[in-house]
Amino acid sequence: MTFRQQRNLTGYLLVAPYLVSFVIFLALPVVVALVLAFVQLDLANKSHSKFVGLSNFTDAFGDEAFRNAMLATGRYCILMVPSVLLIATGLGFGLYAMSRGREVVRGLIYIPAMLNVAATGILWQWFFNTEFGLFNFTAKRMHLPPVPWLSDQAYAMPAVVIMSIWWTVGGTAVIVLAGLQQIPRPFFEAAMLDGATGWNVLTKISLPLLKPVLLFVFVTTTISSFQMFGQAAVLSGDGPNYSTRGVVQYIFFIAFDGYRFGYGAAISWLLFLVIAVFSLAQSRLFRTKHA
Amino acid sequence: MRKRTREVFNILMLAVGAVFMIPLVIMFLTTFKMEREILDPSAVVPRTWSFSNYEQVLNSTVEAPIQLWTLNSFFVSCGTTLFVVILSAMVAFAITRIQIPGGRVLMNVVVATMMMPAQLFLIPLYMILGRMHMLDTPYALIFPATANGFGIFMVSQFMQGIPPSVEEAALIDGCSFLGVFWKIAIPLCGPALATLAVFTFIGSWNDYITPLVFTESVSNYTLPVGIALFQSSYSTQYGLTLATSLLSAVPLLIAFAVFQKQIIEASSASGLKD
Repeated sequence: MTFRQQRNLTGYLLVAPYLVSFVIFLALPVVVALVLAFVQLDLANKSHSKFVGLSNFTDAFGDEAFRNAMLATGRYCILMVPSVLLIATGLGFGLYAMSRGREVVRGLIYIPAMLNVAATGILWQWFFNTEFGLFNFTAKRMHLPPVPWLSDQAYAMPAVVIMSIWWTVGGTAVIVLAGLQQIPRPFFEAAMLDGATGWNVLTKISLPLLKPVLLFVFVTTTISSFQMFGQAAVLSGDGPNYSTRGVVQYIFFIAFDGYRFGYGAAISWLLFLVIAVFSLAQSRLFRTKHA
Repeated sequence: MRKRTREVFNILMLAVGAVFMIPLVIMFLTTFKMEREILDPSAVVPRTWSFSNYEQVLNSTVEAPIQLWTLNSFFVSCGTTLFVVILSAMVAFAITRIQIPGGRVLMNVVVATMMMPAQLFLIPLYMILGRMHMLDTPYALIFPATANGFGIFMVSQFMQGIPPSVEEAALIDGCSFLGVFWKIAIPLCGPALATLAVFTFIGSWNDYITPLVFTESVSNYTLPVGIALFQSSYSTQYGLTLATSLLSAVPLLIAFAVFQKQIIEASSASGLKD
């Protein structure tokens, strides 16, 4: 055996265990998901399963519950993404401006991300409770009317978003902070020497130079918002009038409550398509960063 | 920026940090309250400190075997972490150092699959795991997680930085490629592997949808799914449900206290050029 062959053999041996896992748990599922999307599966009697062409997909467009789930996920994204972007940027700048104690505060705002989604949801469900929750208790003290957070369609999704912001925004803020810390200090110093105001430095230097990081944050927050599941599932369930049942919750309902695997797979692909657009944008950003 | 302005920011941001902690502090204090005191939240600090919530949680073995869920969570998270770290290091070494033919293609495929949302795999994995008789076992939560390519991507980035002269010297001294892998690449990648281990552990510990779908028996639940079930049956006993929730987060809060710097720095670097 030549040196080169021996070298490659070692390499293949090192890759082999992963390849087994990759084939069984990644490649095969993609193929199965693809087949399922065009099939109506009868779990009780597999021989009754039949190829149904595109009807799983056309069904989705006529399915009002699915449309409702898309709208719920869309509402979550529209409320969540700008809020996270704004608050995280504010926190990032705030942290950057600190002369002492930055690491402590950075740790404090990051800690909520360590909680699992069930614990977070249970905690906030108690906060949002209409009768003896903390929010309405405070509202009562201030002689404000109580807000039926989780039982009113108008407030349920905002409640999910408020909780999610608390849960995730610290993790986003540290990314913004790291972006700011990458901007060379002389940029700011030179601007200051030229007599630029704080506002000018912010709008003409900090924000433009931070643009790649903010774009990254925007894309990743959007992708994770489309995948929202546990936050609503634990905090509000489906919500009043299904107002907080997002797409992933609907997939879960279709597949594991109704055992309609084919239809569930088709909806999963539709969700994937939406996410893929943002993922591609992200990989574009990533590539230009390396150029 | 002037010194005074900076001081203002120091105080302001410290207050913001405190605001983020308020929910957790209230949660902590409330778990020591008696149930009737919780329903009237006029005082944040318990008037009488009581451990009855924790006693009740830790003693309720039948409906809410929290000890069992904790064991399951540790088993699944440790198993996943071990496999992910070892497999990632092996593949990263084969691709970046040995440079096996086809390695680049494999790397591209791995990166491409990282973009596929986990939800897409739930239904087919459920069927595949069913065929393998793995559903409702901890292995259904461990093995599929090893296919994820994030670790390979991360360790590869790090391994690329090892100068070739280091391994050439070892090879000339008669070291085999496996020897180079164990004795040189692994130790040199220590920090990257540690970060990967911490992140994998956190992700596995906090995973909610996977155990929800792939486990069925209450005795096979992990903590997040277990406490959510517990909450749905004791939804009005806030002292109890908050105590279980807090307990479920304790291991990660400890991990955060120890690895805070690594955790925050690794996650904040995600938005930067390598």
